[in-house]
Amino acid sequence: MADGPPSRDGLRLWAMVAAHAADRGGRVSVADACAVAASAARVSGAGLTMMTRTDSGRVVCVTDDVSARVEELQVTLGEGPCVDAYASRAPVLTSDLRGQQALRRWPAFAPAAKEAGAAAVFAFPLQMGAVRLGVMDLYHREPRSLGSGELRDALVLADTATMLLLGGETGSDDFLGDASSGLLSEREGYRAEIDQAMGMVSVQLGVNVDVAFLRLRAYAYAEDRSLTDVCRDVVARRLRFAADSDAEARGDDGRAPGVGE
Amino acid sequence: MDSERLSTTFVELADTLVADFDVLDFLHLLATRCTQLLDVSAAGVLLADPAGHLRVMAASSEQVRLLELFQLQNDQGPCLDCYHTGRPVHVTDLAAVEARWPRFTTQAREHGYGAVMALPMRLRDDVIGAMNLFSSAPGLDDADIQVAQALADVATIGILQHRAQHQSDTVVTQLQTALNSRVLIEQAKGVVAERLRMTMDEAFTALRAHARGNHRHLSELAQAVVTGTEDVTALSERLPRRGSSD
Repeated sequence: MADGPPSRDGLRLWAMVAAHAADRGGRVSVADACAVAASAARVSGAGLTMMTRTDSGRVVCVTDDVSARVEELQVTLGEGPCVDAYASRAPVLTSDLRGQQALRRWPAFAPAAKEAGAAAVFAFPLQMGAVRLGVMDLYHREPRSLGSGELRDALVLADTATMLLLGGETGSDDFLGDASSGLLSEREGYRAEIDQAMGMVSVQLGVNVDVAFLRLRAYAYAEDRSLTDVCRDVVARRLRFAADSDAEARGDDGRAPGVGE
Repeated sequence: MDSERLSTTFVELADTLVADFDVLDFLHLLATRCTQLLDVSAAGVLLADPAGHLRVMAASSEQVRLLELFQLQNDQGPCLDCYHTGRPVHVTDLAAVEARWPRFTTQAREHGYGAVMALPMRLRDDVIGAMNLFSSAPGLDDADIQVAQALADVATIGILQHRAQHQSDTVVTQLQTALNSRVLIEQAKGVVAERLRMTMDEAFTALRAHARGNHRHLSELAQAVVTGTEDVTALSERLPRRGSSD
């Protein structure tokens, strides 16, 4: 391996996020993920904007004045790496906003961001399959590109921010804080079952998959079970969510379960 | 091994790489072809995410996907060793390696497998993932292993090629995009399985058949299914019988 045992990377970064929150004296939030992303990727700052397909975006956190301006410009102008990353569902890495390419692509944003003090912008979509929440932007004062380790760290932290945003809307934050790293690692093993259960529950409840995810998490929390366990029950058709109540346990309906036979 | 079939497969894979293609569909095709060309009963392709965790990207069946997940969950098995060392791991008799991977060998043998071959997917100095082939003992012969490694290399080339087509900046971002498509497809499988009362395997087959039949990308179709812009009932129409070639 070129860069050592990589499975430690996630844990190292999650520990940094938790430490950052502890220093602040608060619960782990996307602001911590942003701050750690900026320092891990060794850039000047970071910001996060939540977006939907219809509205232009809402700035959730920024690490300094320049990143505040970078986020605000994209929301106001409706163009920039952040907007493109959201639309294309892929990271948009711009090492030099002064280049012709950047100017052609973002005629309003590129000069304005440069004026504000950002010479390079790296935008990472916050997504989980069909769920799209927004974008995390890193900026740097000087033109530069990200090294592969820095890029990897930024991607891990964008995933972390995604999980925090998804969890943060359940209204009960008890299981966020310290548990967030647990949730993240839990997703690694049987994560396909979580994704499949999101799809199934979205049909059962007639809601979007992100709402289905929140219901699954809320149920797991209320029942004091792991999210993975609950999702495996859904996939095996041992558990069904009904639109009028939280969930109802249901026996085998005589049909072979989707997995495990 | 059937050499004509082998060359046909490489031509087919090369053809796919020329056109605009869906990387997950490609990896799935590769896993399926492995089981047809080589003396193996199941195949899986795993890639590492940015945090360094392996994720199952394609599997020739739901059963083997679960077996791969089992390796990941328990942090043990030939696939992980292959990924961490960057070298092929060939187990010709699972019964003989119980001490090394007790949980994995038990599971694999319960599923009827006697041998495993794990091949690294290498990109210069980096190992981006691994391809696993499950069979009955004593597993693959040397000629089969050469072909298997060639197929693993083709999988790596496919990922690189996809990145070039989509002008993705780096392999890391390309992999991340592919991983998200994988999540998307699992969500779509859930929607289809629930709505059409199918197993996950059947849901995947239906999604794939519908994408192929309508010349659409699997990820794009999955997106439409999950966001509700696709008429899911149309997916039940083109279903091939179970056990068809892919």
